[in-house]
Amino acid sequence: MDEIAVRFEHVSMAFPGVLANDDVSLDIRKGEVFALVGENGAGKSTLMNVLYGINTPTDGKVFIRGQEVTAFDPKTAISMGVGMVHQHFMLVPSFTVAQNIVLSREPRRGRIFFDNAAAERKTRELVEEYGLEVDPAAPVEELSVGLQQRVEILKTLYRGAEILILDEPTAVLTPQETEELFAVIRRVVRDRGMTVIIITHKLYEVMAISDRVGVMRKGQLVGVRDTADVDEKTLASMMVGRPMLYDELEKTGVPGEELIRVRDLTVRDNRGLLAVDHLSLSVRAGEVLGIAAIEGNGQSELLEAITGMRKPESGTVTIRGADATGKSPGQIRAMGLAHVPEDRLATGLSRDGTVTENLLAGKQRQSQFNRFGIHQRTSTVERYARELYEKFDIRGAGTDVTAGSMSGGNMQKVVIAREFSFDAPVLIVAQPTRGVDVGAIEFIHGQIIDRRNHGCAILLCSADLDEVFRLSDRIITLYEGKITGEFTGPFSKEEIGYRMTGSRQAEKEAAV
Amino acid sequence: MLKTILAAIFSAGTFNQMLRSATPVALAALGGAMTEHAGIMNIGMDGMILMGAFFGVLGSYLFGSAAAGVGLVLLMGVVVGLFFALFVVKFKSDEFIIGTALNTFALGLTSFLSRAIFGASGTKGNPALPTVHIPGLDSIPFLGQVLNDNSLFIYLTWLLVLVMWLFVYKTPYGFWLRASGEKPETLRTAGIAPEKMKWLASILCGLLCGLAGAHLSLGQLQGTFAENMANSRGYIAFACVIFSKANPAMAYIAALMFGFFDAIGLRLQDYISSDLTNTIPYIITIVMMVYVVVRSQRKKRYAGKRLPAKQG
Amino acid sequence: MKKRFNWGYLVSLLISVLLAFAIGAVILVIAGFNPLEAYAAMVDGAFSNARHIGDFLEYAMVLCLTGLACVLGSRVGIFNVGGEGQLLLGAVVSCQVGVWLAGYSAWIAIPAAALAAMAVGGFYALIPGWLKVKVKVNEVITTIMLNTIAASICQYLAKGPWKNANKNMVAATEKLDPRFWFKTLIPGSGLSTAIVAAIVITFLTWYVMQKTSVGYEMKLTGQNPRFAFFSGIKTDKIVIVCMVISGAMCGLVGMFRVYGVEHLYRSSISNQYYFEGLTVAMIAHYDPVTVIFLSFFFAVLKIGAQGMELSAGVPNQIYLIIQTVIIFFMAAESGIFASLRAGSQRRKARADIRRKEGEGHA
Repeated sequence: MDEIAVRFEHVSMAFPGVLANDDVSLDIRKGEVFALVGENGAGKSTLMNVLYGINTPTDGKVFIRGQEVTAFDPKTAISMGVGMVHQHFMLVPSFTVAQNIVLSREPRRGRIFFDNAAAERKTRELVEEYGLEVDPAAPVEELSVGLQQRVEILKTLYRGAEILILDEPTAVLTPQETEELFAVIRRVVRDRGMTVIIITHKLYEVMAISDRVGVMRKGQLVGVRDTADVDEKTLASMMVGRPMLYDELEKTGVPGEELIRVRDLTVRDNRGLLAVDHLSLSVRAGEVLGIAAIEGNGQSELLEAITGMRKPESGTVTIRGADATGKSPGQIRAMGLAHVPEDRLATGLSRDGTVTENLLAGKQRQSQFNRFGIHQRTSTVERYARELYEKFDIRGAGTDVTAGSMSGGNMQKVVIAREFSFDAPVLIVAQPTRGVDVGAIEFIHGQIIDRRNHGCAILLCSADLDEVFRLSDRIITLYEGKITGEFTGPFSKEEIGYRMTGSRQAEKEAAV
Repeated sequence: MLKTILAAIFSAGTFNQMLRSATPVALAALGGAMTEHAGIMNIGMDGMILMGAFFGVLGSYLFGSAAAGVGLVLLMGVVVGLFFALFVVKFKSDEFIIGTALNTFALGLTSFLSRAIFGASGTKGNPALPTVHIPGLDSIPFLGQVLNDNSLFIYLTWLLVLVMWLFVYKTPYGFWLRASGEKPETLRTAGIAPEKMKWLASILCGLLCGLAGAHLSLGQLQGTFAENMANSRGYIAFACVIFSKANPAMAYIAALMFGFFDAIGLRLQDYISSDLTNTIPYIITIVMMVYVVVRSQRKKRYAGKRLPAKQG
Repeated sequence: MKKRFNWGYLVSLLISVLLAFAIGAVILVIAGFNPLEAYAAMVDGAFSNARHIGDFLEYAMVLCLTGLACVLGSRVGIFNVGGEGQLLLGAVVSCQVGVWLAGYSAWIAIPAAALAAMAVGGFYALIPGWLKVKVKVNEVITTIMLNTIAASICQYLAKGPWKNANKNMVAATEKLDPRFWFKTLIPGSGLSTAIVAAIVITFLTWYVMQKTSVGYEMKLTGQNPRFAFFSGIKTDKIVIVCMVISGAMCGLVGMFRVYGVEHLYRSSISNQYYFEGLTVAMIAHYDPVTVIFLSFFFAVLKIGAQGMELSAGVPNQIYLIIQTVIIFFMAAESGIFASLRAGSQRRKARADIRRKEGEGHA
């Protein structure tokens, strides 16, 4: 039982500008279910991509069943018995189940022809052997997500995997599908002696399925425990880490009138699934409402629906007393809302535009920058951009370079500078300090509280719990599109972490 | 009058003309189907055809045999395919820019070389591809007239349609090819580099478009090269690829459709302008594209609604 | 907004041009010509007499307007490949409007013809623009199809309902009333007063794109449509409007060719001129000012090559080869640099870790 299936020795993985894995050493035993947990960006997927040969580690060694991995490519990994089910499925939609499963190792007839009958027969054999019911002849694009995942698992089994990596397998599943998946995992471990590594951040799932658990934070492995020896609260605090020591922020004033009001809002995500489920909230002037949630629990869709980036399915959004439901971002901005989006590269910036152009966006029609409604007052714009550049302490090669050439932290400051300088009474702020260095974090936090103290209603959402605790006057926890708890200070980190990981216990309490 | 019109449309001559017009387009469309499956939008087929047409005649002229001409075409087809892939796959240049540039480049190069080698009047009467007479086929009344005594490549095209169809849908390589275009990561995580399939598709496309050109110059025009003789057939082939969703068999049928409208355009000149009948296939292609996009969007929306909502 | 002069671009362009001429020289040598004599004849062909200068200015105008029409679309992220069709339709319709208004004053006929050319070109661009924005159909493919359709329709009109009375001219419309012709500025050449209108249009296009708030919104939309929408811009509207204006410009170029040079419609009104303009736009990386300069360069190349053919007997198509080789290099340049950069970044990341470890052990 104590045979080692996988050994990482001092593995580091650097991407340009990011150290995604920092000197990770880890043993995974044969025949166990090992859970790897951590917040988004902690380096779990990167580490598993090293094992599967997609990433070549910058440093360190990997051993699979005692053998050192010399060539990092999926082909070698597959031949050494590693199979991986990616978070985004690696299936060709127009192919049938059987065709997807045998891809790259097709049964052949007469050496050159694809033997579809044999492919379906072999698929059926696997289906029966593992009890993973799915129709071998069905096109994958017509299957539900849960069934597609089964196809992925069957594919790794077909390729002879003995070590199975599952990257956030339950993120897209219904509770019933999750139960079925867990049954399958238990079965392959018990009957086939397989080793399963499961990446997740749902802690109750860790408790339900794993034998051991490793916790990652900021690229480092911070601890490995036997699941039996820990509880969800311990894991939660390992995941979020020791709180950073900041000076207390000075918050002044009392909450005023209600500026954001959301009633019974329902929003679907890109896949058409329910992401926000009949949710209601309100934020008052001079108040920061923090959303604590793990990524993918509807917070992104909620903010998009409020700011006009996504059409809600039902419910209402009211900004400063006016109906904003389903309006365009332009119309909603005109109501007095500014928005720091969660993904600055996709939504918050134009990488090919200069810093000046990025700072101007949304203000180009203001009369100070525009003569006769046509001509752009270039020198005024440039002066204004330089002012913001100074005021928000942006550090780079000036305002004429493209935003894409700056560091992540400075790009973020450009976004903050632009949105905060609208002087809008309503601010939606998502992930304000993601990828930003400590000094800049302090500055951005100061700016947020400054806006709050000036009577701004702020809705804040962040994956960094410390940040939410530090800035918020009130916190709601969100799990699977629903509010699972509401807290006013002083906040209990354990309690909030517990609620946002969707633990069953928390739900029961919330229901009471 | 209707009777004469119908008689003109459904004559053996029309269908024979359809076959002749369709063949070069079909050969190029087979090539375009390869790159399309590999996820490359190939606008450069017109240039590839033109290169084939020129080098076919050049080989025939230099070595005095049509077979040598075809040999040179195959060689150039590989070179052109490699050249296209170098830019599109290796350097990841914009495929539209490279395709357009390839068309212009081929036009410039073939016209320049033609004038430099053959002079301003061009060349004709070089050794050409034979026509094929199938004994006994004559006795079948209608089909005999349509199918018999055609240029060699018309029959070769039938074979190639079958071969390419088998390749795409019945061999593992065809599955890899389609995966490389539809979802390259799938192939990569299975341990096969999708770029390899894209290179292969480009080379096959160069070869097939080259044959299309060789058929034009060495078959249809009996060893003649004329400047810009591809005459937008590459774009027609592209329309066939889009129309057929890159299925070789369907692409051949689409090419026949173009050939049919071309043929009746010629026959009905007295009643309706062939210029107007020529537009029909393109209009159909646009309508098809809109239909395909709308349907896939509706399907996606429907799939979203069908899935159960997440519940806590 | 001030943009620092892009020296890197200029250097790559110069290298590409030099390489293209070098490759052209190799092809010339293989074909048995003296490249130095050929290139000298090319320069001579463009500048030797006033007629050639007029011709190259006229062609530069066509390249510049079609190139800017392409830039206008690509600025907002839509690729108008259908300019050829828009140009042809603009030409045939504006010509026929002039024929219909033969008895009227030029002050009525010419504006009416210009409006008709812009309307038909704009409408013809609206179809793919609307399909792209509202239905998400790839505009490149639809515009390519629409080009062929337009060419056929124009051919039909010139052969059929709008054909001239002359039995010997198979596919051409009636000749325009000479009172409507644009004045020829250099006798014997194609250069007409249309160039004045072209200069105004070029200036306006440049001004709108580079100096106005609308131009700024266009740029943002093209760079990152999601960001543009996020910051409150009506991105759908701006894309469709730009596409329509791009089509209208192409239609107007068709009118200029008719009223300035040919004085009737026939298919030689444009020999894939839009594609050459589009090529210029590509080489210019869709920068309007660069398009203006490169238009002159490529017009000299083309007209010079025609002169070269007459004087030195070298086929003029060598200019197409040179032009496309420049495109190949300019299009591959970023790919080559990207692969070089990726390699050096990997090495740098590895070195960083080594350094960090070295510090750790020390």
